[in-house]
Amino acid sequence: MEEIVKTIQGVPLNHYILLSAVIFSIGVVGVLTRRNAIVIFMSIELMLNAVNLLLTAFSAYSGDASGQIFVFFIMALAAAEVAVGLAIIVMIYRNTKTTDINVLNRLKW
Amino acid sequence: MEAQSSAVNYLPIIFQMLVAIGFVVGTMFVTHLIGPKRKTKDKLTPFESGIEVVGNARQPFSIKYFLVAILFVLFDVEVIFMYPWAVNFREFGWQGLIEMFIFMGTLLLGFIYIIKKRALDWD
Amino acid sequence: MNISVFYLIAFLSVFFSLMVIFAKNPVHSVIYLIITFFTFTIHYILLNAQFLAIVNFIVYMGAIMVLFLFVLMLLNLNKETEPVKSLLVKLAGVIAGMCLLVVLAGSLKAISTSAKGNPSTQEVVQNLDLGTVKYLGKVLFADFLLPFEVSSILLLSAMVGAVLLAKREKTEIS
Repeated sequence: MEEIVKTIQGVPLNHYILLSAVIFSIGVVGVLTRRNAIVIFMSIELMLNAVNLLLTAFSAYSGDASGQIFVFFIMALAAAEVAVGLAIIVMIYRNTKTTDINVLNRLKW
Repeated sequence: MEAQSSAVNYLPIIFQMLVAIGFVVGTMFVTHLIGPKRKTKDKLTPFESGIEVVGNARQPFSIKYFLVAILFVLFDVEVIFMYPWAVNFREFGWQGLIEMFIFMGTLLLGFIYIIKKRALDWD
Repeated sequence: MNISVFYLIAFLSVFFSLMVIFAKNPVHSVIYLIITFFTFTIHYILLNAQFLAIVNFIVYMGAIMVLFLFVLMLLNLNKETEPVKSLLVKLAGVIAGMCLLVVLAGSLKAISTSAKGNPSTQEVVQNLDLGTVKYLGKVLFADFLLPFEVSSILLLSAMVGAVLLAKREKTEIS
């Protein structure tokens, strides 16, 4: 058990923050550069997961379980978000026959 | 006192996954390597019970499946919420039971809504 | 050993998340995203957050990603190529994302140099039971009872929203 505490100690918290920042930025780039609505949605999931990892790392390093509970709630929220968001995308596809977001640059047509 | 588990306890699982993946990849690679290869046009077509291949595999299917999948995800999350409660069931006692019933009652409302809307009907 | 495992998994996470946004075919994107989430599960195990690892595995990889794949199949995207943004917009997007990364990394560096020797930034997990289901359940039902009940309302509203959105078209057809 001592060894495990030591090995977790081995990775500085800064590296977890950096990893989360990198993956969050990748998600941002994905949102900005892609035009398929589903791929944009997946990039948003990537950003959510980067935040999840960061919260878990903070929680583990400070010995406080609140962060992990928070991640748990974020996962429940992500499921609800995916359910409604994908339903919206499917409805958009049924109306416009495309998932290209550039078609949706008007609120009403 | 229950046993404390940590990352090291997952090592057997990792070994098992490595062996499973290694076996699959290894056998596929070896059969690819030592098997004879005679490619004809008929052999390369997808096998469809001997009938001629018709059309594309990616046909649009009904939205009813999608609705079932979405509702599955939501109730999946509900069950995930029940794990921490179930593990501590005895310690929480009646209070925990009432709290969980409030939670499940709200979701039961949603289930009644789904039934009333006939969203799961497969007409 | 654990340290090198962390860097290996971190590299894989970054690599596959890059593949997610650069894969041309959306189906490939979903597959790469599943692999990315699997690396996140390993991260959670390394952080001794076992319950979150299982939840991540079941909810994200098992349910959400299947739903994504399902929608891609439902939308019948037969054509391999999707419409792409113009090169200028893409370049601007990449530059903007890199700027965000530089800002985040720079602020992290500023904080870590100013707080050098501060033990709170390097503190180590003391409680090995922290990530277990039992411990998290106690905290969840003691301190986070209201969010727990409110999340049921969130799920209820998501159910109603999904049914409303996906059901409407069918009644119009019939």
